[in-house]
Amino acid sequence: MKSFLPSNLHRLTRTFLLGAVLAMALLPAARAEHPVDPKATPDVFLGAVANNMLEAVKADPMALKGDVGHITALVRQYALPYVDMNKTTRLAAGRYWRQASAQQQADLVKAFTGTLIRTYSGAFTRVTPDTTITLLPFRGDTQAGDAVVRTSVSQPNSAPIGVDYRLEQTDAGWKVYDLNVEGIWLIQNYRNQFAQEIGRNGIDGLIKALNAKSGQ
Amino acid sequence: MTRTVLALAAVALMAGCAQVPHPSPNDPWESYNRGMYAFNDTVDRAVLKPIATGYETVTPRPVRTCIHNIFSNLGDVWSGINSLLQGRGRDFVDTFGRVLFNTTAGLGGCIDVASMHGARKIPNDFGMTLGVWGFGQGPYFVLPFLGPSTVRDGVGTAVTLTVPSSPAAAVLAIDDVPVRNSLLGLYIVDTRANLLEADRLVDQIALDKYSFIRDAYLQRRKAMLDSRAQGERASTEDALDQASPEKATDTLPVYEDPDAQATH
Repeated sequence: MKSFLPSNLHRLTRTFLLGAVLAMALLPAARAEHPVDPKATPDVFLGAVANNMLEAVKADPMALKGDVGHITALVRQYALPYVDMNKTTRLAAGRYWRQASAQQQADLVKAFTGTLIRTYSGAFTRVTPDTTITLLPFRGDTQAGDAVVRTSVSQPNSAPIGVDYRLEQTDAGWKVYDLNVEGIWLIQNYRNQFAQEIGRNGIDGLIKALNAKSGQ
Repeated sequence: MTRTVLALAAVALMAGCAQVPHPSPNDPWESYNRGMYAFNDTVDRAVLKPIATGYETVTPRPVRTCIHNIFSNLGDVWSGINSLLQGRGRDFVDTFGRVLFNTTAGLGGCIDVASMHGARKIPNDFGMTLGVWGFGQGPYFVLPFLGPSTVRDGVGTAVTLTVPSSPAAAVLAIDDVPVRNSLLGLYIVDTRANLLEADRLVDQIALDKYSFIRDAYLQRRKAMLDSRAQGERASTEDALDQASPEKATDTLPVYEDPDAQATH
């Protein structure tokens, strides 16, 4: 028994170390390959973000199978840091934003973030190793504070999906604040639903309804 | 059967009419629409969705893809005609090229070889044509069984169903009743099965499915019409080549920022 224990520990340590080395070796492959620079032009910045996201999905076998848990985790890691969720939520809430307390505003942003993540994840549930993202020629004015970058997600055997991003220039560089899938802008599509829910159940009711959706 | 359906519809309408005291400005017929939406949703849950889900489970993906592509190829004929009616010669030529290529090399449309060679599908319909011709869209209008529409798109759909070059009408024109009904059933199931994934997503993210679908439908139709007004090609690849940046920003939604100071 006494001699068994140390050798077993030894094996455990070795396995652990091997695992750690393997993980470190694999990590660079799974990590972002395109350097993301929010101070670059909007199309260059966004192209890096979108392609990193796509490659992360391709590198994750579960995500590639359409596992929503895995895809949402990748969205949190690769896309969310470049989104100004505060602005997204503010614009969706419109005039009701000012009626909300600071705490309600924070809760609303958090709740709507869940919705955005699930929406964006939906665009990645049918990714195959052949899926590509094409950046359409950028014609906007890079000096302007507001820009739209248009992309097309192509996969074999189905029509390409148009995914556009609306960005705003901030002190920290470009930030995405609205998303368009096949002609449908996210904020625009939630303005009526927000107003409706607030009118019926107040801001807390809206937060609750959004969180209830996330819990599903 | 027909009588039951009509009775159901009547009940749904009456149930819906009392519910909306303040319809949204973009939806003056909201009371009727919500009733019809509820009716469609009931029919869908009871009949269409289970069949489409079963079809998706039982039929291998390649077979489903083949069936979908054949209907899609038939649909391209009508899309192409509409491109012509809208004066979009290049879209017309491209779409007819697709039909010729897919019907021959693609074995009757089963394989979408055109897409594989970069000739993407250019969706078009008669509702769009009416829009290009200058007809206003009218209020949002939920059609029985067919779902989201506007008055203009509803007229477009009615015309489409009577013109024998659309897939639905082509099937309806078949004389052999069992064959006709089977194909029509298959067409409906194929159409519904292709919406299952979108449906799942909407279930997960929409606060109010009715509003979500309405606003998405109106936005999408507006975006399609705007892209035509700008003289863009409908296919996204060179959509921006012909659109000027000024015009492109004209069609962006304008949001009022209630807290503009926060960012500047």
